[in-house]
Amino acid sequence: MSSTLDEYTEAEVQRLLTEHPGLGEQGITLTRREHCLVLSGEVESPRRRAEIERLVHEALPDVELCCDIGIVRAAAPTEHEDLP
Amino acid sequence: MIRVAAVGDVHIDADVVGRYRPALDQLGDCADVLLLAGDLTRHGTVAEAKCVATEFGGLPVPVIAVLGNHDHHSDQPDEVTKVLEDAGITVLEGSGTVQTFGGTRLGVAGAKGFGGGFAGRCGSDFGEPEMKAFIRTTSRIADRLGEVLRGLDCDVLVALTHYAPVPETLAGEPLEIYPFLGSYLLGQAIDSAPTALALHGHAHHGSERGTTPGGVRVRNVAHPVIKQAYSVFHVATADADALTATSRA
Repeated sequence: MSSTLDEYTEAEVQRLLTEHPGLGEQGITLTRREHCLVLSGEVESPRRRAEIERLVHEALPDVELCCDIGIVRAAAPTEHEDLP
Repeated sequence: MIRVAAVGDVHIDADVVGRYRPALDQLGDCADVLLLAGDLTRHGTVAEAKCVATEFGGLPVPVIAVLGNHDHHSDQPDEVTKVLEDAGITVLEGSGTVQTFGGTRLGVAGAKGFGGGFAGRCGSDFGEPEMKAFIRTTSRIADRLGEVLRGLDCDVLVALTHYAPVPETLAGEPLEIYPFLGSYLLGQAIDSAPTALALHGHAHHGSERGTTPGGVRVRNVAHPVIKQAYSVFHVATADADALTATSRA
């Protein structure tokens, strides 16, 4: 994979995250900054977040990553919606 | 009134088993039924389906599901369905079920759905075979969903899909990918019956609320959108006359 942070790299990373047999993540947003790639979105477990960071770092070893991926909350709801 | 709990896009694998369970164990206090709007697994493997069965099996309320695109990735939707059904989960695909709660009959018609886009920006049954196959797939699924919706004899009618029937609940997603997130054909099917509520997932960056052109309330219950284990909807019971008379062609 190219080490240059351009649109082709962005597309390659998005495909990597979706198509990697151990991951299958489609909900990660990539934002290119001048010398940094911001990863944002939410995943279901800390292990998936770590795997995403590892894969992207492995693919782009020279690119600084900023990981802003959260873990989706899974608490019971406190309210309901009335649909009359 | 029926209390419907719903969530989609839980993407269960071994690393997620147990996360939902504390909230799911409270379901009996707040809901009559749990609907799962697809993408229950990450890659649609039997091993992942067993994790879903562990997480969503044996709950205090009935569980009704459709599969999502992730659940098809390993080309084993039948095997995934069998694992879920063995755990007591009803899996719908171009089919429906009617269950009675306190004398009120809840009808749920379910289908995964597919893409194609929305009015003014949709694909057509035209051109290359691949393009025609794409749109024909959605048409076939939507036609079947409409048939099932119109055929269910019930007091409260709910449509359950993975793909979105309206663009409103996609707000937040890039416009460029709307055709891969849903189709107006699903909305048209939902509007062809006296549907009280349409639930879908798939759009992780979308929005919670929308309505079909016919006025049916649509809710995107993708887990990253609702940010809780499930949402709960108290759906009023339509009187029998209204249910018959409001059928939208």
